[in-house]
Amino acid sequence: MSAPQIPNLLASRGSPRLRGSRGRGRGGGPARMDASQRKDLDIQSTDTDAAVSRLSAVSVGYLDDPFAPYFVNGPGIRRLPVINRGTYTRTSALDILVDAFLSHASDESKDTPTKQIISLGAGTDTRYFRLRAQNKHRKLVYHEFDFPSVCGTKSQLVSTNQALLSQDDTATFFTKRSKDSSDSDNESEWGFAGKQNGETDIRYCCHPLDLRRLPYTPSIKTLNCFHGICSDIPTLIISECCLCYLEVDNAQDVIKWFADRIPSLGIVLYEPIGVDTSFGKMMVANLASRNITMPTVKMYKALSDQKQRLSDAGFKATNDDGGQDAKTIEHIWENWINADEKERVDSLEGLDEVEEWQILARHYAVAWGWRGTHGWEKWRNKLEHQ
Amino acid sequence: MSDLDRAIAQLRACRPIPEAQVREICHKARELLIEEGNVVTVKAPVTICGDIHGQFHDLMELFRVGGDVPDTNYLFMGKPYFHSTSEHQLISYNCIGDFVDRGFYSLESFLLLLCLKVRYPDRMTLIRGNHESRQITTVYGFYDECLRKYGSANVWRYCCEVFDYLALGAIVLGASTALEPTQQKGPSSSRTSTQEYIDSDIEIEILGSDNGVVSRIPRGKSKEAVAQNSSPSKSSSPATKPGPPGTAASGWSRGTTGSTSGAIFCVHGGLSPLVESIDKIRLLDRKQEVPHEGAMCDLLWSDPDEIDGWGLSPRGAGFLFGADIAKSFNHVNDLSMIARAHQLVMEGFKEMFDNNIVTVWSAPNYCYRCGNVAAILELAEDGMGESAHQRSNGDVNRSNGGMSEESARVLLAGPARRYRVFQAAPQDSRGMPAKKPQADYFL
Repeated sequence: MSAPQIPNLLASRGSPRLRGSRGRGRGGGPARMDASQRKDLDIQSTDTDAAVSRLSAVSVGYLDDPFAPYFVNGPGIRRLPVINRGTYTRTSALDILVDAFLSHASDESKDTPTKQIISLGAGTDTRYFRLRAQNKHRKLVYHEFDFPSVCGTKSQLVSTNQALLSQDDTATFFTKRSKDSSDSDNESEWGFAGKQNGETDIRYCCHPLDLRRLPYTPSIKTLNCFHGICSDIPTLIISECCLCYLEVDNAQDVIKWFADRIPSLGIVLYEPIGVDTSFGKMMVANLASRNITMPTVKMYKALSDQKQRLSDAGFKATNDDGGQDAKTIEHIWENWINADEKERVDSLEGLDEVEEWQILARHYAVAWGWRGTHGWEKWRNKLEHQ
Repeated sequence: MSDLDRAIAQLRACRPIPEAQVREICHKARELLIEEGNVVTVKAPVTICGDIHGQFHDLMELFRVGGDVPDTNYLFMGKPYFHSTSEHQLISYNCIGDFVDRGFYSLESFLLLLCLKVRYPDRMTLIRGNHESRQITTVYGFYDECLRKYGSANVWRYCCEVFDYLALGAIVLGASTALEPTQQKGPSSSRTSTQEYIDSDIEIEILGSDNGVVSRIPRGKSKEAVAQNSSPSKSSSPATKPGPPGTAASGWSRGTTGSTSGAIFCVHGGLSPLVESIDKIRLLDRKQEVPHEGAMCDLLWSDPDEIDGWGLSPRGAGFLFGADIAKSFNHVNDLSMIARAHQLVMEGFKEMFDNNIVTVWSAPNYCYRCGNVAAILELAEDGMGESAHQRSNGDVNRSNGGMSEESARVLLAGPARRYRVFQAAPQDSRGMPAKKPQADYFL
């Protein structure tokens, strides 16, 4: 068993250290980086934190994710019970909202996708592979955006992993040169497409892009710039600790970019809140010592701020359906996880630090909002019966 | 310099000592602890500390703030305790609790306390916390830390054997009902404050780590200072001048300056529905791994809560108990207060139930993440010598709770409490490894 107290050596290297990450660090070592490159790597290192936490939660039995080990180098690190419970709750919260979003996707007569997910800053997230394992991917097209280097590394990992390659025997791995090659650092878009119809039948696609540039790059005008993105089906944007690293205006503009192009749109945000408490201040200071800052977190401090933010971004009822809400991880653990499941999870490690859990879980929130004519019925339901 | 003193010096520098020496010290510690009862008697003055959780640098800070061993008599409510009814009129330390796990230097923290216990048995009391168990140390990191530092589980095994001998609680006798006001230092101090309180007993004094007085509450002025709880969500406090955070001075008007308070019961967690008297605790067979249920488990796991009677604990072990339970326990056992650790309190300490119970938390910025301050609780001696003890159940020979009928309704004056509140040690640190563990977040 490994130790919770071992400092996260993976993270301290400053870059995602993934199995098979050959080619990382091209252009020279850290000494030759400028401050902003360094900062980007520090932000990217947070993905390693998430991957290690996910594997820890899986190893102990909180989560079922056979794909988690593929994205962590070595046996991983066992996190403390509070962190495992948090990883569990965060993942479950997103699962619940995603499942609710997908649950009306069964228009059996049509063979075309009926729902779309766009995951921002996805890093080594395994959600698509999990959906595929649950056979929830049939009418879904799934996109991920991340830094070119992160995308490239994930591509290498997936393309050399037989289990991931053969998971869906109707789909095949592909790579495709990006249209905006100047930005993409020579990385290609890649993913899985249907075997029969090839690249007209995209099911999963990773887009190498520094998201900060999305709203401000003249050559990226339309959705067509990205392989396989549809504008005419209900689409859910996921930002699990991604947009919080962007400047406030920049984050807003990224959301707006999608909102201007996709009429039926929803969004889920997972980020820290409450940075004015002593816990929150310590969090900001600790992360700052890792060169990580979260501009939006200073702007949206409470659940109500997050709701207002989504409402301002157009996720509200107008002529169409719409709405928004936000809950803390503490609330979600208490109210969204059923009693049997809570008992199961509780028995895994015996979480002792109740006060610590509460304070930690109060400082993370899931906020979600949507607008559109159809496809959001379950979300509407969720809003009314949570 | 003896080997033991050398080991202490080495541990103070946060460097582990050789395995063979750990084995020897653990052996000596067990020999000492086996002689202690389940409930150790400690004579005031004493400094009561809560959870440490292996935050070594902060333990050093605690010693800086509270005084060094053996100058101060300590009671640590996290782990082993020892009874310090000593002839030395120094100060003694008492610790109530979780010494190990999570802090990255659990090993050094625990071994240092243990060495000090062996070196100054009368000045260092360690009582068992719920983390001093094989099962919990495996989940929460102490096991891994030992494995990492020694390459084998031997040291962990030695430590666990010591855990099994740690006392379950302590009784502090001879605590004074009044405090001598701390002299303000420096030009910024206000002279008036000392004068203002010179004629009245001080029930509670709160000091910052620089020895500056944060606030003082005279006995009888307590109505202004009732129950400032830590959680803002519960802040139904009156709009009148609030007392300092954490306090619930209740204003015993009984007792004159320097008189003796009732005994103070120290335990890591709290009470048990199976234990109505201190004497019952004395009868337990404690020399074992902490059971999953039963009296011994409850003492290490339970929490006070704003409920009536008993309730289920969200921790999955122990119980929640309300004010009625605590007050009745104190009454039956001639106690004036219960001091316990076990729960993170952002203000470092928190009094509840009309000052029938206090939680002391001694790990500042817990897990290097929580942003809380820590506190230690000092109880002064009454200056009345041995005569002070006779009424208390702390006396081993006292018969049983049935006797309490005759003394019913006799209210015991609470001890005067001096809380020293302190923050996490600065990063630079005095010659110790500077790095602190990186706190985990969800990113």
